[in-house]
Amino acid sequence: MQDGQWREWRPYAGHWDPCPPIRVKRYMVPPNQYIPYQPMNLPQYSLDEALYRGTLWPALFSPYPSQGQKQGGGAHG
Amino acid sequence: MADLNGAVERPAAALQQPPERGGEAYRRELEELQKVDFVLVELNLYLDTHPTDMQAIQQFNQLAQRRQQICYAFEMKYGPLKHFGQSFSRFPWQWPETPWPWQV
Repeated sequence: MQDGQWREWRPYAGHWDPCPPIRVKRYMVPPNQYIPYQPMNLPQYSLDEALYRGTLWPALFSPYPSQGQKQGGGAHG
Repeated sequence: MADLNGAVERPAAALQQPPERGGEAYRRELEELQKVDFVLVELNLYLDTHPTDMQAIQQFNQLAQRRQQICYAFEMKYGPLKHFGQSFSRFPWQWPETPWPWQV
């Protein structure tokens, strides 16, 4: 995926599936999964930006766009 | 620009009356307080797991002091943000005045 946080996989669409197949499933792995212990003196956002970013540290910034704006168009490609 | 309560904001008139509670200026100043509060929350949670990070503690203390200044100025202008003794009030008792901060 474009953004390192987003992953996708393609579920198998069986012949007798009752519902229309979901070709591409997308999920997100936030950065805090890769930081076991937050190091000291990480760079910080400015005061104004932190509130809107939802975190003080860019390393942990993890936007979760709503369905429509998800990375790479619709969620169920 | 009339806001939801139909109170038309007249800049000229606003100067004489006390600053309008819940108006544009109120929201802007409250937002400044919210920004500092958010960073204080982040630093507090961070410090819970990093008690020896001197720099973060200094930043926390500076921001806490700054938060008190912003809050004091805000409450002098618009009235108490909290009750039960956590804020002062003028005469007459201002707490029941609407809007409350969370209503804005």
